[in-house]
Formats: sequence, structure tokens, C-alpha cells
Amino acid sequence: MTREEAIDRINDLLDSADPQTANTSMRIPRALRDAAALAVRELDVAPSTTILTANALRAMLEGAVVMAALELHFEQYPEARPSLADLAVAAAELDGHPLAQQPEFLRRAAGEVQQRHPDASPEDVLLWAEAVQSCAASREGAA
Amino acid sequence: MNEIVLLDNEAVRALRDPAHKKHRHVIGHVLNAARRTARGLQVDVGVPTAVRVEAGWDRTAAAWAFVNRLRIADLPLGPEHADTAAGIRKRTGVSVADAHLGSAIQSAREHVTVITSDPGDVRVVAEGRRVEVVAL
Repeated sequence: MTREEAIDRINDLLDSADPQTANTSMRIPRALRDAAALAVRELDVAPSTTILTANALRAMLEGAVVMAALELHFEQYPEARPSLADLAVAAAELDGHPLAQQPEFLRRAAGEVQQRHPDASPEDVLLWAEAVQSCAASREGAA
Repeated sequence: MNEIVLLDNEAVRALRDPAHKKHRHVIGHVLNAARRTARGLQVDVGVPTAVRVEAGWDRTAAAWAFVNRLRIADLPLGPEHADTAAGIRKRTGVSVADAHLGSAIQSAREHVTVITSDPGDVRVVAEGRRVEVVAL
């Protein structure tokens, strides 16, 4: 099975309306199972541990399969891969963050963050940029 | 609160075409949505079907295989959407696709972001509904 075929099959399965359920012999850490049961019973995070597990698994798979499809695309078109700065600008746009109006400032912030933290996320960049802006405003206020 | 990112005609075209000057921009939004979804912060990406028609997106065509893999949901023009869209079109004079986009914006229960080449039209069809507009 090629990766493309695997992605297509996973997408088909995720979109399936088949209501059939199956018992699994999946082994998970006992402490995790107990934590999930407690969270369902005491914190109402989901109607049941089964639903909690299925929802978490679905969310993970839905995100992962898209990221896998994009990775395949980037292998063919490396220039299509967004930089950390691109992703930080996109994250600001998605959130309606005021810094979305200052893309060049965000791009500089991404460069600064990436120098120290090569695995930084777009949200890390936003936080850093906010902090830099806040410090600058405080200095101006004090002056 | 869950989020939904809606694509307009130009956003769909940009996503489809690696040579499009906004391809990486739209890809960035799809990637961020996927990253957040995998972390449990559901961010859906959707396209009104009338927009899909306008963009020429045929899900059965091999040329659209890459875009088909990105889990971009169809928002169909069902009876309720059709009524809302008809009202928007009558009031604003926009195209059918833009009216459908407007009905999708107005009926969404999630926080809505629209990626578009025409921010002005999006604000018109939103008719006051709060929406984040990402200009291509």
C-alpha cells in the first residue's frame, strides 16, 4: 500500500457512517485508563470512557492524516512548505489576533524564536511577539 | 469553542495550484487547522458546494486528488441554506457562490474564519455576523 493509498483509506474510514463497533485488545497504561474513568465520572469530560477515547483518537487521526497528505505534497513541492513565520502569521489571522496586522513584525519574531528554539510552534511565536510588544510599550510608558 | 475555516473560490484555486502565488498561504492555514485538530482543538475546514462548483473542484477528478486528501468538508446547499442564500442574494446582489458562502457564515455555530480574495464581499454577505476575514 502506498502512502497515498493509506491516506485515502484512512479518510474513507474516518468518513464512514458505519455504526458497527468492535471490541479491541488494545493495551493502555492502567493509570491512564483510571485517569480517564475518573475524568468521565467526576469532571464530565465525556459521556463515557469509550466516547472519550474514540473522540480523542478521531481528533488525532483527522489532524494526522491531513499533515501526512501535506508532507507528501511538500516532498513533491518543497517551496509549498510554509515557514514558521508563515504559520505564525496564519495562526494570528485564524485567531483574529491584532498582530495579524503586523506580519513583518511577526516574521522578525519568528526568526528570533527559531534561533533559540528550532522546534517552536506558531503559537510560541505569537506569545513571544506579544511579550516583545508589551515590553516595548512598558519602556515607552516609563520614559 | 470550535472553529471553522471557510474557503472562497480563489482560496480553493490557490490550494489546488502549487504555482499559485497564494498557495503557501492557504496551505499554512490548512496545516495550522490540522495541527490544532490533532491537539484536540477542533478546527474544521469547509467549502460551500456552490463555491466548489465555481472553482471547478470535481472530487472525482484526479487533478483534485491532493485537495481531496485535506479533509475539507462540503457545506451543501440544502433547503435551509438555499433560503438564506436567496435572501442574501436578493438583498446584496452577490453571486450565487458568494450568497452560499454568506449562508454558511450566518448559520455556523463555530467561530468562523473566511479565506478570500475579496474581503469586502465576505463582509457584505456576513451581514453583521462576526467573522475573521483573511485576505489573499
